[in-house]
Amino acid sequence: MTNLDASASEVTFKPKPSLPPPPNTVGVVGWVRKNLFSSPLNSVLTLLSLYVIWVVVSNTVEWAFINAVWEAESRRECLDKVGLSGACWAGVSHWMKNFIYGRYPDDEIWRVNLAFGTLIVWMAPFWFPRVTGKMAIGASAIIISPFLLGYLFAGGEKGLFLQLMVSVAIASFIFSWAHVLLCLSTGRSLWDTIVNVSGFASKADNVQKYPVIGAFVVLLVAVFAWQSGWQLEGQSTNLWGGLFVTLVISGIGIAVSLPAGIVLALGRRSKMPIIRVFCVAFIELFRSVPLITVLFMAVTMVPLFLPEQINPVKIVQAIIAVCIFSSAYMAETVRGGLQAIPKGQYEAAQALGLNYWKMMTLIVMPQALKLMIPNIVGSFIGLLKDTTLVSIVGLYDLLLMLKAVSLNPQWNGLHTEPLFFGACLFFVLCFIMSKYSQHLERTLGAGQVRK
Amino acid sequence: MAVVDRGASGQGSSFSEIVNDQRYRSVFYQIVVAVVVMWAGWYLFSNTAHNLEARGMSAGFGFLGSTAGFSIAFSVIPYEAGDSYLWVYLVGITNTLLLAVVAIIFSTLIGFFVGVLRLSKNWLISQLAAWYVEIIRNTPLLLQILFWYLAVFAILPRPKQSIDVFGLGIFELNNRGFYFPAPVLGELFWLTMATLLAAIVVAYGIAVWAKKRQNDTGERFPVFWTAVGIVFGAPLVMFVITGSPLEWDIPALKGFNFRGGGSVPPAFCAVFIALVVYHACYVAEMVRAGILSVSHGQTEASYSLGLKPGLTLRLVIIPQAMRAIVPPLISLWMNVVKNSSLAIAVGYPDLVAVFMQTSLNQSGHAIEIVAMVMLFYMTVSLTISGALNYYNKLVQLKER
Repeated sequence: MTNLDASASEVTFKPKPSLPPPPNTVGVVGWVRKNLFSSPLNSVLTLLSLYVIWVVVSNTVEWAFINAVWEAESRRECLDKVGLSGACWAGVSHWMKNFIYGRYPDDEIWRVNLAFGTLIVWMAPFWFPRVTGKMAIGASAIIISPFLLGYLFAGGEKGLFLQLMVSVAIASFIFSWAHVLLCLSTGRSLWDTIVNVSGFASKADNVQKYPVIGAFVVLLVAVFAWQSGWQLEGQSTNLWGGLFVTLVISGIGIAVSLPAGIVLALGRRSKMPIIRVFCVAFIELFRSVPLITVLFMAVTMVPLFLPEQINPVKIVQAIIAVCIFSSAYMAETVRGGLQAIPKGQYEAAQALGLNYWKMMTLIVMPQALKLMIPNIVGSFIGLLKDTTLVSIVGLYDLLLMLKAVSLNPQWNGLHTEPLFFGACLFFVLCFIMSKYSQHLERTLGAGQVRK
Repeated sequence: MAVVDRGASGQGSSFSEIVNDQRYRSVFYQIVVAVVVMWAGWYLFSNTAHNLEARGMSAGFGFLGSTAGFSIAFSVIPYEAGDSYLWVYLVGITNTLLLAVVAIIFSTLIGFFVGVLRLSKNWLISQLAAWYVEIIRNTPLLLQILFWYLAVFAILPRPKQSIDVFGLGIFELNNRGFYFPAPVLGELFWLTMATLLAAIVVAYGIAVWAKKRQNDTGERFPVFWTAVGIVFGAPLVMFVITGSPLEWDIPALKGFNFRGGGSVPPAFCAVFIALVVYHACYVAEMVRAGILSVSHGQTEASYSLGLKPGLTLRLVIIPQAMRAIVPPLISLWMNVVKNSSLAIAVGYPDLVAVFMQTSLNQSGHAIEIVAMVMLFYMTVSLTISGALNYYNKLVQLKER
């Protein structure tokens, strides 16, 4: 009996190992069934879209690569070889320099390259994790660098003010990179190093800045003395063009529109009626009209508005128009961010005894801008695309340069290839920006994700 | 003693106290801003007056009555060289509105379609829609317009080798433009239109009655199909009774070009297609975001109440999605109106082209003309945003 019991208790229920899932629900086959052929309608749609993709891709590849002509001296030569069935990339590569630099003289192109290179190097510390004081470096890159870059682009006679500002820019650049190198090698900021070396470390906090200012002034004097010796050949803005001028206009537009938009948005939400009315009027006026009218207004009316002796060049008029227009749009973007901040944040800031500007710069604005990063970058992308409109008032930006190819006797009528190339270029630029904004959203918004 | 004196007598008079006292501070800042803005306005005004005088130009709207000596390639309302500048303004406005309205209609329809495709469970379809959106919205609209015009519509064949668009022999596309049948209204056609209006009013009345009855008794009435029947049926009956007073003027090749029918120039086609393709991708994104914004719990709740998927979509999902779709959609419509001004790049005679460019160059009245053009666009924007606010009030969540 006991034996029987024991054996009964030994025969416990053992489930068989579960069968693998049916082969048609896993792996590639399962994925295809689930996502492409889940129902008769879906199967039809899949086949239809495969056909559409095939037609588009095969024709494009055939036109752009297989039948394309890469080496030719004129469009006639291209047409003789393949007719219209293949792209004539020879024309695009012949004009590549113009697409990028406009009609800037070949011997002076190094200045444009140097200027953009300087800007990139100036901004590079943003991507170094160990560097402190990134805001100061960024601010100097946005506010001070334009004087140096502008002089590199335009050249010509330097007035005393420009001499000073160019020197300040060069000195700031040297200062910030000395700071960056010190941070990377020793982990201490330039400020601390100067204070320590000068022996001011034991002094009161408010006098510690003097050796730093002194060092900067010494550097500035040295740079000023050095820079007065060189002068660049003047280049009329009529020669500027291509991608270079597109980037200049949209870069200035971006640098101006963000701070101006913040100020306008704060003004719009201000409790002071006069300031609010002005801000609302400005924003609504320029948001309700097309950019073209603002550009035409700038081109036809700015000369009327200014005293007779001032004759602004066309690119300056276009930049004014782009800045006004994009500031109004940016103001609404920032306002959206401000409205998303709960009232408790304002009240908490006030309860801490912060005044208006401290409340805004320390508590509200950082949160609002972080929330609005996708929209702000979206505005930047829109600005870069809208910059092409300056071609309508006759500035040789990238788009007008692309269009100008077809007027050249050698490449007469070559429209499609340059425009196709330009579309790809803009797509790459804008796509990178939008992907970068998604990346920023993920990294900066990490604290706000609720799991 | 001295300190007390200064405090007593300097109350409110010392500059720093005005700036820092909460009672006066905001007034002080506002006065400063107002003075700066007024000074800037006066500065611009005096410069302008001086410049106008120096160039011997007159100000005022008197020029609107004088004749404009140029011709316009395409106009909705009849125009001949020699009409007044005011008429040119109206021609520009109607041309702009024609382009904008058809572009709004088509981009909204196509955008909804693509937005739904973007959410399809079929991976390939949703990827295709996603890449359409990515490619189109990361390329400048002006470049797209030029591409359509220079690479597609400018190289169309001559009238004799016209492309027969739908294979029906009545829609023709060639390098002079797009030709389509135009309606020729008979004498009694107004009766059909009147019946249509009356039918719409009746259908609306039925909808109101049906809603009231459902609220009172819970019984449902097939409003939609009744309304369709009345709105389409009644005018059709009237149309047949009055003897079909409508004919189509079909374009036909005579000599070197098509005669008869309606037509739009290639520039119109290029800008229209570019506007539609460009804005449809934004509409698609709005539709997608709107549908995704309705939480899945709503669908589940509706299923558990026993509603079928079709009813769930119509009664639960779409009304809530529309609340998120309509505000951005209406501001997109404003953008279509504004972006239609890019038509100037390919020579479609819209308001900016005929008035702000040609008329301005000829008459030189920069300030008045720019102001009038801005006034038009602002009126359109205000009208559209007024409609937006009205709709928003109707559908927003009623929170108490």
